Amino acid sequence: MEEIVFGIGITALAGALATVAGAAEDVESDIGSQGDPNSQVQLAPQMGYIHRIFNKAIAGEPPAYGLWVALGAGLAWAFMAMQINPILAIVLGSALAVFVQGIYATTAYLGRTASLAKFGQPVYIDILKSMTTVTMAHAFIAIFATVAMCHLMISALGHPFPLPLLGIVWGIALGAAGSATGNPFYGKERQYQEQKFGAGVPISASGNIVRYAEAGQRNSLDNGFFSAKLGGPASGICFGLIVFFELWRTVVFEEFNIWGPIVVGVVVILVFAIIDRYIEVWARKNFGPYTAPEATEEASS
Amino acid sequence: MSALGGPKQTGGIQPPTAMGLVIGIVLIVAALALAYLLVQMAGLIALVGIIIGGVLIAFGVHFVPVGGAPAAMGQAPGIATGVAMLAAGAGLAGLFGGAWAAPLGFGVALAGGAIGGGLLMAITCTMVNVIYVFGMGIPAASGKVDKDPITGDTFPEFKSQGTEGHGLPFISWVGGVIGGALGGLGGTLIYLQLLDVYQAQLPVILNATVEQIAPVAVSLAGIFAVGMFLVNAVLAAYNITGTIEGPHDPKFKRFPRAIIAAAVASAVTGIFAIGLLQLVGVF
Repeated sequence: MEEIVFGIGITALAGALATVAGAAEDVESDIGSQGDPNSQVQLAPQMGYIHRIFNKAIAGEPPAYGLWVALGAGLAWAFMAMQINPILAIVLGSALAVFVQGIYATTAYLGRTASLAKFGQPVYIDILKSMTTVTMAHAFIAIFATVAMCHLMISALGHPFPLPLLGIVWGIALGAAGSATGNPFYGKERQYQEQKFGAGVPISASGNIVRYAEAGQRNSLDNGFFSAKLGGPASGICFGLIVFFELWRTVVFEEFNIWGPIVVGVVVILVFAIIDRYIEVWARKNFGPYTAPEATEEASS
Repeated sequence: MSALGGPKQTGGIQPPTAMGLVIGIVLIVAALALAYLLVQMAGLIALVGIIIGGVLIAFGVHFVPVGGAPAAMGQAPGIATGVAMLAAGAGLAGLFGGAWAAPLGFGVALAGGAIGGGLLMAITCTMVNVIYVFGMGIPAASGKVDKDPITGDTFPEFKSQGTEGHGLPFISWVGGVIGGALGGLGGTLIYLQLLDVYQAQLPVILNATVEQIAPVAVSLAGIFAVGMFLVNAVLAAYNITGTIEGPHDPKFKRFPRAIIAAAVASAVTGIFAIGLLQLVGVF
């Protein structure tokens, strides 16, 4: 019984770390425009809209986070093998991985933006100076939390994978959960804030992203501020729920029956199916069918 | 006739060519023969398991509803990320569960892997709809079918002007869970087959007990399983070309070609994984 209670505590802690990691990951990727909305950031200058948005999308979020988390986990694992305290080892490993992320962000921004020179898009050095460090700070939180979570899974729950391998597995899952949940909010609600709420962006509007803020030109720090309100926390909840349910069903129900975790997993999937269907029906009832905007409104917008 | 002068595009569905089939069968048979020569019957069984695992992964990827960049702007339905990436996220989460359950038996581990992958997709797909509905005020609408085959919901009236649809209809949610489960199942099957091979070979080569070599065997099998997962997921993503809504999407019918490609790729990569220790021994 004591073992189960200990396991539940570790599960809760791992879930909390995953929630923090998911939130930081999404905000980091939105500040760097690394998710799918990067296509619009890259397209805008080609359509004549010069902007000051950071753009480091030379890899998708899942492989990028797979690399950084595996790097942080691998270095932490090496430091632990040198008899360094695990917490210090994880901090050091994550810090070194973040420097790789910083180099990646710098070269990606310079490369992607320089490729737009023929469309008149300048490379802003002040953007590089102010944004890179902010993405690095968010990436550190995401990497540290994920590596710490992986370490808990091995040392406290006894997962057989070594730390670096677990880093790849959960790094890719972190990027997948963060990009899936957070991208639409950043892409539609932020980059296309001028478009009508409650409808998709017409393909004809592609590239016409919002470029001005309350004062002056909008930059990616404003986007991070916006994402932190819903996209980030939702991504955090998504990744936190994944990690929590994955561990919880095994830690608690394996003691009773070896098929217990599988039965509970199926039940949890069915519960999420009901929640999803409820949300879908709720939206259809409350929002109703699509109605085209009035001609006068369209002209003014 | 395409711009590159290739064969005529027949509605996006190209059946495998006779030459491709023959080369594929030759490669698979050669890999199976090599597996038998290197590790005898155990190697043959392991390679068959790896091929089945690879095929399951490639088939599963076709179920995953992925909208890519247009989905991030509410211009197309699906999840706003890449096909291979999302499938890898789900499949590897399944592998995590399957590897954890490996000591409890073959069946439990496989089921654990499948449920792990399905669970990640169930939560992710639900959160996608949460964001679409509560963050953006957009109801789900498929661009490929007028009616949801499961719930019977109609879509054309909910589709925004100038888009191909948006959000995640229930059929796509179900497709995502099935895809994640198949990916987790396939990844775990590959892992278990390789683990068996390494646990049989390593104690003899290193002159150690099974307990002593366990970390090396688990690490090697895990790394190869992750690698082979990515090979098969990317192959399937090439077959899909861009975005897919799920099992109701016409692109889903392309899966036979991906299955043949995945079987060949798994056989060729699998023989290197199985014969790794013999290769190391040669050098």
